[in-house]
Amino acid sequence: MGLLQEAIFGVVTGSYIAIAAIGFTLIYGIVNMINFAYGEYLTLGAFVGFFAANALPGPLPVAVVAAMLGGGVISIALARGFFTPINHTGPVPMLLTSIGLGIAVRNAIRLFGGRSARYIDTETATFRFDAVPEVPIGSVDLLGGFFLTSEHLTVVGSAVAVFLVVHLLLTRTDVGIAMRAMGDDESLARVRGIDTQLIRDSVWVLAGVLAGLAGVLMAIQTNVSSTTGYSHILQILSAAILGGAGSPYGAIIGAYVIGLALAISTAFLPSSMTGLSSAVAFAILIAVLLVKPSGIAGTEVREA
Amino acid sequence: MVGSVFNTRCTGSSIGMSPDTNRRANRRTFLTLAGSGGMVGLAGCVSFGGGEGSGDDGSGDGSSDDGSGDGSSGDDGSGDGSSDDGSSDGGGGPDTIALGQPASLSGQWDFLQPGVSQATDAAVAHINEAGGPLDAELEVVRRDTAVDPQEARTVTTQLIENDGVAGIVGLYSSEINPLWDFLQDFEVPIVTPWPGSTFLDTRGGDKGTPEDLSDDEWIWRTVVGDTVHTSGSAVYALENDLDTLGVINGTTEGERSYVEGFLEVYENNGGTVAERVEVELGNSSYQSALSRLFDADFDAFLVSLPQESAITALNDWSDGGYGRQPILSDPLAQQAIIDQVGSDIHGAWAGSPGQSGPSYDTFEEAYSGQDGDAEINAWTPPAWDALMVTALAIERAGEASPEAIQRNLGPVSRSGGTVVHTFAEGKEALANGEEITYEGAATPVNFTQHGNVFGSVTISTAGENGFESTSEVPAEDIREYVAEGEY
Repeated sequence: MGLLQEAIFGVVTGSYIAIAAIGFTLIYGIVNMINFAYGEYLTLGAFVGFFAANALPGPLPVAVVAAMLGGGVISIALARGFFTPINHTGPVPMLLTSIGLGIAVRNAIRLFGGRSARYIDTETATFRFDAVPEVPIGSVDLLGGFFLTSEHLTVVGSAVAVFLVVHLLLTRTDVGIAMRAMGDDESLARVRGIDTQLIRDSVWVLAGVLAGLAGVLMAIQTNVSSTTGYSHILQILSAAILGGAGSPYGAIIGAYVIGLALAISTAFLPSSMTGLSSAVAFAILIAVLLVKPSGIAGTEVREA
Repeated sequence: MVGSVFNTRCTGSSIGMSPDTNRRANRRTFLTLAGSGGMVGLAGCVSFGGGEGSGDDGSGDGSSDDGSGDGSSGDDGSGDGSSDDGSSDGGGGPDTIALGQPASLSGQWDFLQPGVSQATDAAVAHINEAGGPLDAELEVVRRDTAVDPQEARTVTTQLIENDGVAGIVGLYSSEINPLWDFLQDFEVPIVTPWPGSTFLDTRGGDKGTPEDLSDDEWIWRTVVGDTVHTSGSAVYALENDLDTLGVINGTTEGERSYVEGFLEVYENNGGTVAERVEVELGNSSYQSALSRLFDADFDAFLVSLPQESAITALNDWSDGGYGRQPILSDPLAQQAIIDQVGSDIHGAWAGSPGQSGPSYDTFEEAYSGQDGDAEINAWTPPAWDALMVTALAIERAGEASPEAIQRNLGPVSRSGGTVVHTFAEGKEALANGEEITYEGAATPVNFTQHGNVFGSVTISTAGENGFESTSEVPAEDIREYVAEGEY
């Protein structure tokens, strides 16, 4: 298959990561903490989606909406319980708390959620485009026939919708403008009359909604288990840092760079090295940070 | 909501500054609670595998009420696995004898454990109904390792040092291989139904000298190694004119070992590998790897991945319409694969260790009479055999010390004695002063000098009714590909 097909696979993988990375980076930029428990938010969203798909009447989108709502509620509940009381302690205590919370939540899911992977039943349609002409350059075919599945379209479509909504939120609403103000300077924002706690809560809810969506999309593609989100947290973290920590737009770019790097390195690495595709993605991350420490989007890195 | 973002409350300044909500009292209270909760949570993570004992009723109640099931309530608790001094000097025998079972109660291999647990419980019930080894009650203390080497290290130490077990009846390749020296230092026999790794082909057993412990390595396995059943699978593939192969496998020890074993026989006997792709586990998609793999021209493709990753990969394979003949590693011959992938997977086959040893019917009858409805898999009959042969070794030894068990595992299994198929038959024969040869449910359990067993390979094919046995590669056909002394 050609490079076009590999690019499609990369865009799909990048879309999963991008949805989650936006939530992760908003927390970083506005609450000023690296939330290592964020993978568990995805897992909990996936579980909510799984139970909703089995318990609620109606099509799968109903379960997706339930996962998003559930993700938002869980996120604000965990924030209120564990992070809000230590907002003033700085990024390091909050980071350590998030690591501990992640371990505790992951193991609680293992204990109470059962040990077997669960699957959300879906029907997948495949659309083939075999008439696309080949454009070979050396041994690489730039175009050539390709296929898309309904799952691919759903994931990419969801990601595009999320990008639009987040963009409109950040640029056209008072809440979004206040979020950006807090991201720039929290003290100044508070002096200017912004209710910073309300904005933090809004960020937690938004990040939870995005985690719920990413989690249920991953569950549809793979399965629901205690490690659904945890197994992707490094990719999410890397996308956020690569793009410029704290910048949602940078996170989107970072996610697609990582997705494409994973797909293309799997396709073109020597046979004995195909298991190292993640290492290639992280090598790109390191290289970019060496050249431009603030990330692709150039956002100023905060003290965390 | 939008209107409430900006706080307009006057605070004595001309600027409406919102309150700083961080309060010291809340912080202290929170840190106290979070610290306590964190310690409890982390403690729960560290010792996640609480003991789950298996008593004579097989209901998992054989442990003490704290979950430790120590099996060593006797006078010294010195780790001989019995409740007194472990000797059987005329009426002074132990009341209970404990064996330890590290188990995959969680983790990516947990779907295989229910069958092994049920077989273990059935064996314990059967042994105790027959009077038990040395007329003592046999207990199995089961603890979760999640097939994690570090957790296995902790659990094995707990079982031997705290629970005082006389022997271990578990542990996977992924745990044994990295912990090899650590496990040898305990000098406690490990009779396990799990490991297929080629690493153990020439490691383990009594080296053919049961009385001399100096050259012993303390691992025995009652399941045929990967070398045997991958050889059987490779032979079957070649016999069916599948001469060119694509391979997709995970990067962990178990998956690589399976593929290496398969390819050694396959390539040495005329087969060709057109493409091989290694993938990381737990990915959300394997489309790129499949795309690369199926660019090559081959007759069949071999899949060696854990079940969850395999389902994702095979769903991607089905969505992509790649076709061709799938060959699955033996852990993948599970109903869940067919349920999740659908009819496209029909016709896929897997070569698994044979499940039809000389005493299979006895095992199956006891297994079906046990509580539980776990599916029998390739490791279920070997779990029964592990308990039987260990209990018979204790009975022959007349004591329940690790050294005595190690010395007697070979003699009760190798040919030359009265053939027995159950613990009850063996106990009776030993009482009559006869030597015995245990023939098991999975294989004849004729331990090689390296503590391995040899057997046939069953080919199971996916269809409407699940994976059904469709062919058998006899042990003697495979033996010609596996040299004596090298297994």
